[in-house]
Order: sequence, then C-alpha cells, then structure tokens
Amino acid sequence: MVWVVAAVVLGVLLLIAQLTRGPLDDPDQAYQRPGILDLAVLPEPAAPVTADIPQPGRPAIVFFDRSATLPALCHALPDTGLGADADLVIVTPAADIGCGAIPVVEDPDGRLADAYGMRAPAAGGPPVGYAVIDAQSRIRYRTLDPTVTAELSEVRTMLEAL
Amino acid sequence: MSVRDTIRALRVCLWCLLFVVMEVGLYLSYCGHDARFHYLTHFFVGAATALMVMSIVAVGRRRPVPYPLVWLGAAHLVAMFPDFLFTAGTAHYWWMDLFLGHISTHFVPGRNLTWYLVFLATLGLYLLVLSRLPDRSRAAGPG
Repeated sequence: MVWVVAAVVLGVLLLIAQLTRGPLDDPDQAYQRPGILDLAVLPEPAAPVTADIPQPGRPAIVFFDRSATLPALCHALPDTGLGADADLVIVTPAADIGCGAIPVVEDPDGRLADAYGMRAPAAGGPPVGYAVIDAQSRIRYRTLDPTVTAELSEVRTMLEAL
Repeated sequence: MSVRDTIRALRVCLWCLLFVVMEVGLYLSYCGHDARFHYLTHFFVGAATALMVMSIVAVGRRRPVPYPLVWLGAAHLVAMFPDFLFTAGTAHYWWMDLFLGHISTHFVPGRNLTWYLVFLATLGLYLLVLSRLPDRSRAAGPG
C-alpha cells in the first residue's frame, strides 16, 4: 500500500512540475540549465553583439533579459566579478535602461536572440537567459534562465568550464 | 508481536523516516534552484534502477531485500551525484553519465513522463516478485 501511495505522490509531483512551469521557462525543460558545454549542435560561431564583443582571446557572456528584470541583473552582476574574466553584454528588446559599465544592446526584432540560437520561452516573446562564448568566439553554452540573477554562480561555473 | 519483531519494525520505520526526510530535503533544494524537472529525472532513474536490482536480488535470495527504501535513496544519490559537484562549481561533462546516465537521461523522448512510466513498471515488477516469494512474513520494509 505504501508503494502505491508513493507512486501516486510522485505522479502528483510530476504534474506539479509541469503545471508550475513559468512563462519564461523553456518549454522543454531538458534544455534549461543543463549545465554542460557543447550540447547538441554547439559549439557555433558567435555573432557580433557590439563592435568588440565577442573578441578573440577573451571569453564573453551575453545575457538576454527584459526591461522589467534588467535592474536586478545589473545590480547583482558587479558583485560576481564575472566582468574580470569575461566581457559582459546585455541584450534586451528595448535598451531604455542603462547598466553601468556593462553595455546594453537593443534587439527589438529578436535577431540577436535568433543568431545566438536562444530558445523561445513557454509563453513566447524575447528570451531571458544567457550564452557563454569562449576565447575563440564560439558559443559553447546557452540556456533560458528566468532566475539568472539568483543563479549567477552557475554562470561562473560554466565560464570556468571553458 | 515479539520484542524482536517490534525492534525490527521500529528500525524499518526509522529508515522510512530518514528516507522521507532526505527526499523532501532534496526536493525542496531542487525547487529552490528552480530545478524540479532535474530532481524528478534523477529520482525516477535512481529508483527504477534500485527496484530492478532489488527484484533480481530478491529472486536470487528467495526473500525480500532488507530496508528497501535505503536502496532507493542510495540509488537516487548516485544518480544525482554530479549535481552535488555542480553546486560546488564543477560543470557537467558527458562522463558523468557513469552516474546512472546523469546527463543523457534528461533527453529521452517523453522526458520525465517516460521515466515515471519506467519507474511504475519496475515497481510493478518488484511487487510481483515480492508476491511470489515463498515466505512473505520475513519481508522487510513497507508495502
């Protein structure tokens, strides 16, 4: 009897995991924060985001964010020290907010997101996540991550894995 | 019920309690990292593997394995072990598939629903094995 109850509880947890998927989550959770470099078709050449990002010889992290959550990301990034080890850039649909020394690039039609192969969130619209670029200007990792501001240590982990 | 039986039952309950506390803790930890999907994958894979092994061992010994939930918990910990490394700052690599397919199990068609069905199938197998053992009075653990 205990086994049957456990099986039902696990089924409910499975259902809850499905129902609590957020609008910014990847519709296929297997591709959200897999934590491994060079998944599927990667590595791929990284398209220029600014005139000097990415640049040969230095890794880069391209964050994709939305205006509503951008201030929190900008507030959190300086404390991570990521900028010392990689070029940082933020891509948003509308670059109406600055981010200190970190360049913010406008991508209203989603061309950059497409060029970086960012997957579409469950509810559609621009992605929230990031791509990790190696020193040869190749995309080695990309993921949707609606909670990226709270999980910046993961970005560090993926950067150090290059 | 003899004193010996009572002690054995209490011991089993203690293991059950430890298992439940551990799994609830792990589940909440994964939830805290917005990673329920990953918890479920590794749990189903670990539990299904444990149930398969438990079935084989039970048939071989002609009696149930002791403390079955310990087997499930241990297999789950093996399956999720690379996530401990990830939390400590080590990215995932394909060799981590050594831990019950830690990477590639995420990408099976049907994703976690497939693993849930595999888990149910192995659970059914284990219960079938238990039902056909000659002496169920010696069974250890719940169920």
